[in-house]
Amino acid sequence: MQPPKTTVRPIQRFASAVSKCSVESAAYGKCILADYNSVHKDMCVKEFMRLKDCYLLAAKKA
Amino acid sequence: MRLTLAPVCRPQQWKPLLTGGTARRSYAFQSGSLNFEVFNRRAKWLQKERAAANVEGGRQADYLKDEVAMRVCERLLDVKRQFPRVLDLGANSCNIARALLRPDPDPESEPPVTDPLATKITELVAAESSHSLLHRDHDHPSLSTTHVPDFKLTRHVLEHDELLPFEPDSFDMVLSSMSMHWINDLPGVLSQINSVLKPDCPFIGAMLGGDTLYELRTSLQLAEQERKGGISPHVSPLADVRDVGGLLQRTGFKMLTVDVEDIVVDYPDMFALMQDLQAMGEGNAVLGREMGPIGRDVLLAGDAIYRALHGNQDGSIPATFRIIHMIGWKESPHQAQPLRRGSGQASLKDLLEGQ
Repeated sequence: MQPPKTTVRPIQRFASAVSKCSVESAAYGKCILADYNSVHKDMCVKEFMRLKDCYLLAAKKA
Repeated sequence: MRLTLAPVCRPQQWKPLLTGGTARRSYAFQSGSLNFEVFNRRAKWLQKERAAANVEGGRQADYLKDEVAMRVCERLLDVKRQFPRVLDLGANSCNIARALLRPDPDPESEPPVTDPLATKITELVAAESSHSLLHRDHDHPSLSTTHVPDFKLTRHVLEHDELLPFEPDSFDMVLSSMSMHWINDLPGVLSQINSVLKPDCPFIGAMLGGDTLYELRTSLQLAEQERKGGISPHVSPLADVRDVGGLLQRTGFKMLTVDVEDIVVDYPDMFALMQDLQAMGEGNAVLGREMGPIGRDVLLAGDAIYRALHGNQDGSIPATFRIIHMIGWKESPHQAQPLRRGSGQASLKDLLEGQ
């Protein structure tokens, strides 16, 4: 059941792609933090889409 | 589950309860055998089996369990006694045995203690429901008993991790480290522990409780709330310190000691924390959780919120593990009794300030 040493787990690839988007990630976090007592759906959708676009681009490059 | 809610439901019974000769507590409490399910036992068992299949990853992620097991075993230094037969309930990968076999358990005391703590014990019964996890380190050097020839480690696979198949009055001590937070029926298991102990013998345990992983809990809640518009449980409900004291008392233990300590571990990102939890076999097993993996959007949002809300200056993220330590002694007519309240002659404040 143990995966061979060379395989990279999907979550590791995901983490390394996300790490390239620290600016967008910080902007999204700041938006949530500004009003974290009353978070509702799509409150920070603009910032999230920017973060997701950055992640998708980074994931494609890798 | 039987809940005694009589005073609220039946107001006409208020009076006899309040004016009765014996003082009776009228708050809701559970009595008899309860059938209270919070965790999916099968899911937990599967997670442990899978974690044990990843031997190297599991050993790397054992840092927390080994540390807590060590802190539990350090408490044995204060008990000047030999323990012929000891039970380790919820042994995981025999972390307690590893801690007991460590040389030089207390090099700083006067005189230093150099014999492994295992010399105080003749037989350690390590009981665990996951066969693979229990036998994972069968041949590992950290569990070699050659330097303590009188110590014997017996592994026992539990059919049901909430039913102890042992004779009453058969153990001289029960230890438990980092596993009781997965037990559904904590009062039931504690009273079984009390029953398998011989009179005047201790139970020394540690489990996760209270605000453990509150950073992860809040970040995922906010992320799910913003992305999906609703939340599902990702971190277990855990017992609080106050609950544990009451539970020990109710299940018949005497001379209780309950204390907490926080272990804060820094991780590079939320995914590293979650991977380690998985490798420890400590994944989410709450009944009623959303099945399947967490979606990519929620993970992405969760990591960003974790950093913004709790992140360290250097870009890492902290994860708090709150360990509740408990010690209780089985009742015996000959054991030392605590002194009467208010009978103390010296003030602790003067003692501590005098130094």
